[in-house]
Amino acid sequence: MTLGSLVLVAALLVALAGFLAQRFSRRFPRVPAPIAPARGSAAAGVLYAFTKAFFPTAKESASLHLASYLAGIGYHLGIFTALAGLLASLLPVRVPTAANAAGAVLTAIGLVCGLGLLAKRTLDARLRGISVPDDFVANLLVDAALATGIAAYLDHALVPLFQVTGAVLLLYAPLGKLRHMLFLVTSRRWSGAYFGRRGVRPTPQGPGNPRG
Amino acid sequence: MAEGHVKPAALEQALKVLRERVDERTAAFLNACVRCGLCADTCHVYLADQEPASTPAAKVERVASLFRRYHTLLGRLAPGLVGAETLTEEALQALAAAAFGRCTLCGRCALNCSVGLDPAAIIRFARTVLVAAGMVPNGIQANIEAARASGNTMSISQEDVRETIAWLEEDLRQTIGDPEVSLPVDREGARVLYALNPRELKFFPLSISAAGMIFHAAGESWTLTSTDFDITNYGFFAGDIEAQREIADRLIRRAEELGVQELVVAECGHGYRTLRWEAPDWLGRPLPFAVRSFVEVMAEYLGAGRLRLDPSKNPDPVTLHDPCNLVRHGGVIEEQRYLLRHAVTTFVEMTPNREDNYCCGGGGGLLAASEHTAKRIESGKVKAEQIRATGAKVVASPCHNCIDQLMDLNRHYTLGVEVRTLGEIVADALILPVPPSS
Ligand code: SF4
Ligand code: SF4
Repeated sequence: MTLGSLVLVAALLVALAGFLAQRFSRRFPRVPAPIAPARGSAAAGVLYAFTKAFFPTAKESASLHLASYLAGIGYHLGIFTALAGLLASLLPVRVPTAANAAGAVLTAIGLVCGLGLLAKRTLDARLRGISVPDDFVANLLVDAALATGIAAYLDHALVPLFQVTGAVLLLYAPLGKLRHMLFLVTSRRWSGAYFGRRGVRPTPQGPGNPRG
Repeated sequence: MAEGHVKPAALEQALKVLRERVDERTAAFLNACVRCGLCADTCHVYLADQEPASTPAAKVERVASLFRRYHTLLGRLAPGLVGAETLTEEALQALAAAAFGRCTLCGRCALNCSVGLDPAAIIRFARTVLVAAGMVPNGIQANIEAARASGNTMSISQEDVRETIAWLEEDLRQTIGDPEVSLPVDREGARVLYALNPRELKFFPLSISAAGMIFHAAGESWTLTSTDFDITNYGFFAGDIEAQREIADRLIRRAEELGVQELVVAECGHGYRTLRWEAPDWLGRPLPFAVRSFVEVMAEYLGAGRLRLDPSKNPDPVTLHDPCNLVRHGGVIEEQRYLLRHAVTTFVEMTPNREDNYCCGGGGGLLAASEHTAKRIESGKVKAEQIRATGAKVVASPCHNCIDQLMDLNRHYTLGVEVRTLGEIVADALILPVPPSS
């Protein structure tokens, strides 16, 4: 195993431990299961939260801000592609050239979107007002990993550099705003169950319901 | 609200709540916000005032910055990097301005947050912190104290309740010419307890008569109660965990004493939400009776043929305001539409509507918080514009809290509409059974 791979594996393990510690932390009092009889289905609400609620038409945060929504999608597509590349770099096989090219394109899309979102955060006064240094640091760390990821996809000799930037990103992930990668999942589960159980989303119940 | 200086003991209490009472759900939400700001124009307060501090993101960040300081590693080690804020007097004042002054807890942002977290739940937690610091707006606190002391927020005595109901019963008998119609009080063994908003007794008694006519027409076995009848819960608005439980418990115990099978909550959004959805969790036990909104009950009667309605008795165009706590937090969404389609000649929907509705601006207890009146009226601009766009002459809303706000908006924005409860509209359309004596 190369030094870069060793650093990456160590960072992966630390990040995983950090996320697991937060996921299973007993620091916060548990919320007991709700007692009132359900009107709708919590499971249906959770399913909705992880499927249709991601469509651009489902939320005003997307439908009224389509450019930002698409940039977010592109950014995360690039991030997941880069993560796949990072994991692949640990395998003792060489990724086929076509896959490398596709990876480079998707990661590049992610990088462009990430820089676009960074520019928006810097230039938009309202957004700047709610931003903290972590917002910029997290974005730049991700962008650095994406940039070196593109380089590594194009030139295998640069894989160790990608592994190091990836490792730095992974070590930071459980600490700052990147924690949302875990808490987006738990938040959607909570909100989906809440609105599902109360019969609000996905499908309201009741007489004469045109959507029922 | 406690003005000026926050005593060190109060600050300590607030810090204790911040350290110890964030539950796993609120913590997940607080950890999840990415400060994307895309929720801004989902909030009626921001849409009306365009002030960055009114965006849900800014309000969430007020709480999240404190959370990070006491609950995250970087918040302790490098607070500047992650924007973690220490709880100080200034921080508490800013929190109060955001949580009470700029938010009605309507939850519209929760359905629209890009991540899927619930800003209203976070802001409600902020209110719990403020309760510990003694920083609840005076009007809300006064209502809590009145409810705790007398069993209702308006301190209406048992005698006054009985007298008002007796007068209403007499009036109703004359109006509909039926000596059999009654407004029963404290009747043990009735199937339904119909519980009231005290404002009905003081200011809107005709909504009680309307309910009486509807129960009578449906042949329901029902009763009112002269004590502990109050469905409102200012403890809930305040985020006061102890008070909200105690207030809900009084009415629930009264329903148990009367041995009813069903507690029917008069038209009140947060009253329905608290009694139907939250109270069992606060008390830690299931309730021995069903809890339904009067809206659901009327819709059931209509569907079962127990009510006959003549829509031509309500000829003016009617629009509907969806109370956030009944609809978005309560799931009662289609029943009111079903009723209106049968009770009025022309029903016009607002846009947006149902769970996507905008708050009227009077939610979250703000009607009782006089220090926030100007903001409340300003933030109602979005609702006023919605109403005006429908061209309706009547605005129906199944919530007395919303009705108060809508009446204020009607005056302030000169909308020229009449604001009514669903029950009043349905009662006007009723084809009553012929009295036995005639
Ligand atoms: S949309 Fe959600 S994640 Fe984005 S700023 Fe608003 S509350 Fe935070
Ligand atoms: S709960 Fe309602 S008032 Fe409060 S921030 Fe969200 S949308 Fe605005």
